[in-house]
Order: sequence, then C-alpha cells, then structure tokens
Amino acid sequence: MRGLGFRMRRYFFRQAWQNLSQNPWINVITLGTITVSFLVLGLFLVIFLNAQELMAEWGRRIRVTAYLADSVNGERVRRLTEKVRGFEEVQEVQYRSKDEALRILEERLQGQRGMLKGLPRNPLPASLEIRLKPEYRNSLGVNKLVEKLRGAKEIADLQFGSEWVERFSAFMVLFQVLGLGLGGLLLLTTIFVISNTIRLNIFARRDEIEIMRLVGATGLFIRAPFYIEGILQGLLGAGLALAILFVFFQLFLTKVYEPLKFVLGNFPLHFLTSEQAAVLALGGLTLGLLGTQVSVGRYLRV
Amino acid sequence: MIEMVHVSKAYDVSPQALLDITLKVEKGKFLYLTGPSGAGKTTLLKLLYAAEPPTEGEIRVNGFDVVRLKPRQVPYLRRSLGVVFQGAKLLSHRTALENVAFALEVLGDRRREVFKKTTQTLHLVGLDSKVHCFPSQLSAGEQQRVAIARAIVNDPLLLLADEPTGNIDPGSAEEIMKLFEEINFRGTTVVLATHNDGLPLTASKERIVLERGRIVESSLPNPPAGD
Repeated sequence: MRGLGFRMRRYFFRQAWQNLSQNPWINVITLGTITVSFLVLGLFLVIFLNAQELMAEWGRRIRVTAYLADSVNGERVRRLTEKVRGFEEVQEVQYRSKDEALRILEERLQGQRGMLKGLPRNPLPASLEIRLKPEYRNSLGVNKLVEKLRGAKEIADLQFGSEWVERFSAFMVLFQVLGLGLGGLLLLTTIFVISNTIRLNIFARRDEIEIMRLVGATGLFIRAPFYIEGILQGLLGAGLALAILFVFFQLFLTKVYEPLKFVLGNFPLHFLTSEQAAVLALGGLTLGLLGTQVSVGRYLRV
Repeated sequence: MIEMVHVSKAYDVSPQALLDITLKVEKGKFLYLTGPSGAGKTTLLKLLYAAEPPTEGEIRVNGFDVVRLKPRQVPYLRRSLGVVFQGAKLLSHRTALENVAFALEVLGDRRREVFKKTTQTLHLVGLDSKVHCFPSQLSAGEQQRVAIARAIVNDPLLLLADEPTGNIDPGSAEEIMKLFEEINFRGTTVVLATHNDGLPLTASKERIVLERGRIVESSLPNPPAGD
C-alpha cells in the first residue's frame, strides 16, 4: 500500500470492516473455524514441545556404562578415558572408582547399609560413565559406541539398555512424523477455510466489484479490502486460539497437574514462550494472506 | 475520440460477432448504434470499454490504444468514459446518493468533493427529492437515472449506453432520451445502442446500422481511404 494516502488506507479498512459486518455469519463461522484449527495446532504444539523437553530429559539419561576389569588401574584408566573421550559419539566421560561405586550403593540403600558390612572386600567394579552427544542419543548411536568399546581389553562388561533406547528412538521419530503430518494438515485446512470465506465474500459482493471495475477502480483498490479481511481473520483467529489455550493450560496446571505432579514425576510443564506465541500469531496472519491469495487469484482477476 | 479500424470479433459460438468495422466518431457527437438484436451492438460497446479484446483491428478511445492496453491501465481508460446498461445495476443496499458516490469513492476522491459532485449530478438527472431512496423505492425510470448519474458523475469524455430504455415505459424512456441529449449538449460524446431505428437525426446526431456484425448503413463521414 506504499504510496497511497491515509484517506485510501482508511477507505480500505472501512471497506474491509463493511465486508466483515455485512456478512456476519460467514465471518463468525470462519473465525470459529480458524480459532478451532489454531487451538488444535496450539494444543498440539504445547504437548509436542513439552514432550520433546521430556524426551530430551530422558535422552540425557541415556548413557553407556563400561565396567572395568579389576586389574585395570592408574595409567591404563587414564589412557582408556582419553581414548573414549576421543570417540565422536561421546560428550562426557566420568571415571567412577570401586570406592565411589560402593559409596553410591550405600547411599541408595540408606537404612540397609548393614547388608554391606559383612562383605569381605568391595565387590563392585570401577566403571566409566559415558554420556552421548545429543545427536547420538538413539539406538544407532549407542550401538556404534558399544561396538567401539567392545574391542577394549580393559572393559569387562558393558551396560546400555539397548531395548529401551530403541523404543525411545522409534517413539521419537513417530511422534515427529505425526506432528509434522497433523500440523501440515491443519495449516492446509486453515488456508482452505479462509480462502473459502473470501470466495463467498467475493461472490456476495460481485455486483459491487463489477461496478468498481466499470467506473475504473484499480485492481489494488478492489483487492486490498479482501486482503485486509483475510489477514484480520487469520490474526484474530490465532490470537483468540492462543488466549483460550492459555486459559485452559492454566486451569489444567492448577486443577489437574499440580495435585498429580509427584505421581507423574515432577516434570515442569511449560506454555508456549512469547516468541513461539508470536510465531503462531504470525502464522495466522500468513495463512490469512495465503487464503486470500488463493481466492483472489482465482475469482477476482482484475 | 473513437476510432475503429478493420475491427473484427469472433467468439466460439459466433465466429462473426463483428466483421471489419471501421468508423470514426468525433468529439461531441451523438451516435446511435442500431440494428436487430444479435447484430453486434453490445459487442461493439464492450470493445470500446475494453471489457473484451478484438480478434483483429485497431481501436482508439479517448487517446487510449485499447488493443495494446495493459490490464493495469484499463481502469484509467474506464475513468475517461461512463457506461449505462439496460438494467440499472444499482447496489440494492445503498441509497441513490450512495450509489452515485460509490463511483467516486472507489477512485479515492475526497469525501467533501464526492458529496458535492454527487448532489449536483443527481440534480442534473432530476432526482433531487429521491437522493435518500433505496433502489427498491424507485421506479425503473428513476433507477436508470441514478445509473446515468453514476456514469457521468466523474465528467467522462464519452458516455456509452446499451439499450438504456429497454426496460422502461415509453413515457419515461422519452425523458431518459432527453437526458442523454442534454448530457451530449454539455459536451460529452454519446454512443447509444438501441434497436429502435426510428430515432430522429439532427446535425450533431449520427447513426450506424449493424446487421450480423457488419455496418450496413452509416451517416458518419467515410473514413479516409487507406486507413
């Protein structure tokens, strides 16, 4: 709209408002549909992001423990640690001596420490606690690392819970694919709904448009109100959805989640960040624009 | 003002809608376009306001090269002319005043100016007392007057009318024809298509008769040879 006067822009907004108020039901239904679409999209996003956070948390727990043979100590341990640290999958290696292992076990047993008193000597092996880089926190990464570690003579045994890792990775992939598919479908639906409303509005105003063309209104002048309308609908729908979602999220937190928090593992839930909410609102605006473009391009060639 | 040179128009259903039309209408003239229905009168008018492109030939209207006009230039041609149809094509939810004002609003005119020009034009077509009536409250003749006001409110150089009295009783039709004469008298060129070929010709009035897409009779001076 660059180069157009204030008067013209005011005219466009007035016209857009007139369209909205002249066909209230079409627009209420559209707004409702966009809101519901964005509500589902936003809800999914909240669940997805929190689940991802949870999975990242679980991912951090994926580690490989290499138990060392009793004969290995001193310089050999240092060399092995250096070597393992050099593997590309490895983020961090922590050496845990026999004494440390025993101390940890004692801590865990708490009241039943007496059980350990009768032992003639410390039966626990020293170990290397190996944490993987985020991109290798899956069954493939774990298996690759385990293959490399198997060759080392210093290592007596390996523990890595591969079955759990495998299921976790599969679930993660499935979750992402499902998320992308559902998200894409919802976006398409929203574009379709907006373009359909604009189409109905173009149809309802076809007489006006014909006269506008006849008296020499420019294409921009005819199209601009429809674009404004589409953008407003998209933005308003997304905003409304965010507001509703926020209210329900807070209700869920206080009424459902808080009381069950300890049962469910004390994992903190987050709402969308302000950046994510802004992106969603911007998405509404963009979809409004795209939806209008589809209909204007097809039904309003001027 | 208007110049058509060897203009033809073919549709799939009617391959000879217009055939080799050459004519020239000077500024300030009043041209009757007559002939039986289906003769090509409406098609000829549509070519003049660039609603459709010709299949062949050259067209100039108000200094615009209509054939080579880019889509985004069409509005500027349309601003230099007014069009009236058989039906008034008014917006039913707007009053007479608003219908006429609409034509100026969409060109971005100032509101005060829009109001001034609109009331003046409605006065010219004799509807002072009905400016706030909706189309449904007006007779067919009055509706057509509003349509004419809308077509001339922007002071066009040329007024195109396609059977403007076709839906109107003979009494009102006569008044409408007088209105066109008055508009012509004020300097606007008028091209009026009608199937009524008994209309009187005067010094400034010309007539061409179309039949099956060809000019079969013309009072216009012959275009210069070789054109």
